[in-house]
Amino acid sequence: MKAFEYATALSPSSARDLIADNGAYIAGGNDLLGRLKEYLDAPARLVNIKAIPGLDTIQYGDDCWTIGSLVTIATLEKDEKIRSALPGLHQAAAEIASPQIRNVATVGGNLAQHSRCWYYRQRDVQCLKKNGDLCYARNSDNRYHSLFSGNDCISPVVSSLGATFAALDATAVVLSGGQELRWSMAEFYADAWKMHLAHNSLKPGDLILRVEIPLSRPRSAYLQASDKHVFDWALVSCAAAADYVDGKLVSPRVALGSISPVPHQMDKANQFLEGKPLDSTTVAHAADLLLANARPLEHNAYKVPMAHALICRTLLKLKG
Amino acid sequence: MPAWPTNPRYISQSTPRVDGPEKVSGRARYSSDIQAPGLLYGMILRSPWPAAKIAEVDLRPALKIPGIKAAITVRDTPFTTRYYGEEIAAVAGVSKQACLDALRAISIKAEPASAFVVKEQDGLDADSPQVWQGAANASAPRTRENGNVDEAFGQCSAVIEGFYTTPVQIHNPMETHGNTVSWTDDGITAWSSTQGISSVRDGLAGSLKLDQSKVRVITDFMGGGFGAKFGAGVEGVLAARLSKEAGAPVRLMLTRFDQALAVGNRPSSFQKIKMGALADGTLHAFEMENYGTAGIGAGGDAGGGGGGANIPAPYLYKVDNARVTQRSVAVNAGSARAFRAPGNPPASFGMESAMDDLAVKLGMDPLDFRLKNDPSPIRRKELRLGADKIGWKQKYRPPGTCPGIVKTGLGCAGAAWPAGGGSPFTQGEAQINPDGSIELRLGVQDIGTGTKTVIAVVAAEILGLTPEQITVRVGDTHYPAGPGSGGSTTCASVSPTVNDVCNQALDQLQKLSGMADARGQNWFEACKKLGISPLTVHGRWQKGLSSSHACGVQFAEVAVDTETGLVTVQKVVAVHDCGLIIDQLTLASQINGGVIMGMGYALYEERVMDDLSGVMLNPNFETYKLPGIADVPEIEVVLVNMPERGVIGIGEPSTVPTAGAIANAVANAIGVRVSSLPITPAKVLAALGKVPPFIKS
Repeated sequence: MKAFEYATALSPSSARDLIADNGAYIAGGNDLLGRLKEYLDAPARLVNIKAIPGLDTIQYGDDCWTIGSLVTIATLEKDEKIRSALPGLHQAAAEIASPQIRNVATVGGNLAQHSRCWYYRQRDVQCLKKNGDLCYARNSDNRYHSLFSGNDCISPVVSSLGATFAALDATAVVLSGGQELRWSMAEFYADAWKMHLAHNSLKPGDLILRVEIPLSRPRSAYLQASDKHVFDWALVSCAAAADYVDGKLVSPRVALGSISPVPHQMDKANQFLEGKPLDSTTVAHAADLLLANARPLEHNAYKVPMAHALICRTLLKLKG
Repeated sequence: MPAWPTNPRYISQSTPRVDGPEKVSGRARYSSDIQAPGLLYGMILRSPWPAAKIAEVDLRPALKIPGIKAAITVRDTPFTTRYYGEEIAAVAGVSKQACLDALRAISIKAEPASAFVVKEQDGLDADSPQVWQGAANASAPRTRENGNVDEAFGQCSAVIEGFYTTPVQIHNPMETHGNTVSWTDDGITAWSSTQGISSVRDGLAGSLKLDQSKVRVITDFMGGGFGAKFGAGVEGVLAARLSKEAGAPVRLMLTRFDQALAVGNRPSSFQKIKMGALADGTLHAFEMENYGTAGIGAGGDAGGGGGGANIPAPYLYKVDNARVTQRSVAVNAGSARAFRAPGNPPASFGMESAMDDLAVKLGMDPLDFRLKNDPSPIRRKELRLGADKIGWKQKYRPPGTCPGIVKTGLGCAGAAWPAGGGSPFTQGEAQINPDGSIELRLGVQDIGTGTKTVIAVVAAEILGLTPEQITVRVGDTHYPAGPGSGGSTTCASVSPTVNDVCNQALDQLQKLSGMADARGQNWFEACKKLGISPLTVHGRWQKGLSSSHACGVQFAEVAVDTETGLVTVQKVVAVHDCGLIIDQLTLASQINGGVIMGMGYALYEERVMDDLSGVMLNPNFETYKLPGIADVPEIEVVLVNMPERGVIGIGEPSTVPTAGAIANAVANAIGVRVSSLPITPAKVLAALGKVPPFIKS
């Protein structure tokens, strides 16, 4: 990696000041250090944000829980209240990487992590996402890539928390240019849908402060399918959340990871599920709606039936 | 004729590794742990191109980086590189970061080739860009035939055809390749991660024009080789040259990135098999056309294609009429190297898959079909043993008939390993001290398999002592020479040698001490009578105490999720013979490792080359997937002790049948064959017909 300065911020505003024009925030560092070592990024200064008070706590409000961006995945996984009130979030956290990584990786870092596309991460390939001319994946080995994309790059979002927060209709609060922006997950990743260079909508210097989760969906679930049993990226991940009253879904939301540059959601599917009972015909139709416009490439069409199965299973888990 | 003791106290029993405490406490020093005064780090610059002419390499900018003490090219320019990752230059410096900066500072004037070939199928094309100029990439097909195959197929009552493929498997030992090398006026000392201290010494001496007597190679502890660590390697020679240039010791250990590209691999195979049996289930006709790649291969400048991709066929079973055609295809990718039972795991996978497919077509139980056609009485016995252990009779059901979404299945496969015998050139010595302590010295290496423990067990047995009383020293070319650890040879080499050394030592000790029996409780009294002079005795390998040709069969029980495609191996029963068992614990450990490696081959591992860019896409553990602890099933090791055969090595046969057994279990579970390794969820879903066809837009 290239040499860099190192500074520790004690408040969100000092973090913003310290990062200047060419800096990067560091918390758990799991994604950032890999990028530095591979020369994907070469910030002049790393700004340690771990010492900023208040960002590493979970607050359990009456209608809304707030998860600080520095809360580790392990904390999320082990939190008993989350396990019972937001089981989908617990399940998503428990599937992330390995225990060692979960111990240091943070919620903010998980949301903000960059593409894992094997062309993007290959040190000697200059792909579209690295300002090259060509999306190699589109034309070559795309077994791990997206079924949907709004631009020429087809690297999918791999944050499983992104999909889970989307299903929970959570809001990310981002400090941007002195203002607190409130983004849905769709907004958080919107730029990645539109622009091949973007991994999310964060601009340089933007700092994720917290995620706010409304408690209106007491049922939630998360499932992923991978090549291996643990410590492997999801080929497809699926999160669903809803209330279930008198055998009928209320405010259901489904979101998928690893098949699109953004957590994949379809309003049509959510609307269809509203007021419906959880049975195999209903969930299969919801899955059809979610995958209707999938554009499989030469090597990733398997993700369609895999995603279909995961959607059905995840929704049926909401029955409890 | 020498013989092994009957009713042994330690041989064939369970002795924990003698070096276990050092390993688990971190005291064991591996090549990368060696600290020497003034130690520098070494690193290698690799070709970023799949093929290029390297015209000039300017090392001056690298030497300007603070802390860099030496920079060299691999050879004189101009030269040609033929694969992504081939070595170009190397640097040595006071820190890893200085070396990384220096590698980036080196400027290369190169002419990257406009065309290259990285996939076997493409290399078959006569017009594909030549890896070796002037030679076709695909070697001429070589065919051998016995019987009359065409006529025989006409006599068969069931015939199957299949296309069974296996990927290139990358060497990923726990410890990467590398050395710490110190080259002074007195010569070279190399602490090497190697399977062959003697071959590394001779390789370094030869490459660097030094007397063999001036090169010493030390391997105290070693983290696995699996066939890829016999020679000094490009990285070893570079480390030595850097040490000379810098005038300081250099530690050059490869990174996982380096490891994935340039230190060898198991060749791929693309086996088109047609096989038929008579109505009574007798195998009658076999035809195979196979090709695979050994990367840039063993072709050398003289010829394309090279060898190295051939596999034994028909594997294991007796077929009276057989025709086998094989060829190797050169591609722009890292070359093959010996890999745990070369040729055998792909052969077992192809043949054993075909066996199950044919059994299904015949309407026979695959186990009965094997018992009928396997000529080896040992393997037939093992098949029966393993079938009992896995509950074949109770659990086996016709393919695809397991109800539910998650389907279970059973499969089995066999192994044959022609080597495993001892090297007649093995030597060793014992030094017995007047205080009764004893040191065994052999110029072999313990590559993690338990060689030190084997030596201690045999010595303790002969001398009537305990294994802990034996000090074992291996891994130093100053000790009496021994073979490299390949071909599953080490156990069968050292055991008879230690037997000879200890029997001779005992004879001499008894003569010198005047005691009729110096063993056991008389040992210390006898040693005391040596006075002040230790007794040193030299011995060598002897005939009659070892043999070769181990067999083995494995059974797998799997669960397949037919909606997500995920395969879970629930249990493997591994039945293996290796003649006289020396130590049950290190033996079982070898078999566990073989099964886990075979499981990676079956389900996860695959070198992915990109034909658009020519690079390897997965030179890491993120997308070159290896089994983790949660993937590993219960492994039941069943040992067949055959003292009458003498000692036989087990390292290689233990990994041969795993992939075939798992693949058959998957086919049995889901009722369709996934004929391509690794068996990924994507391929399972495709085999089940669930993946929509790709329509090019």
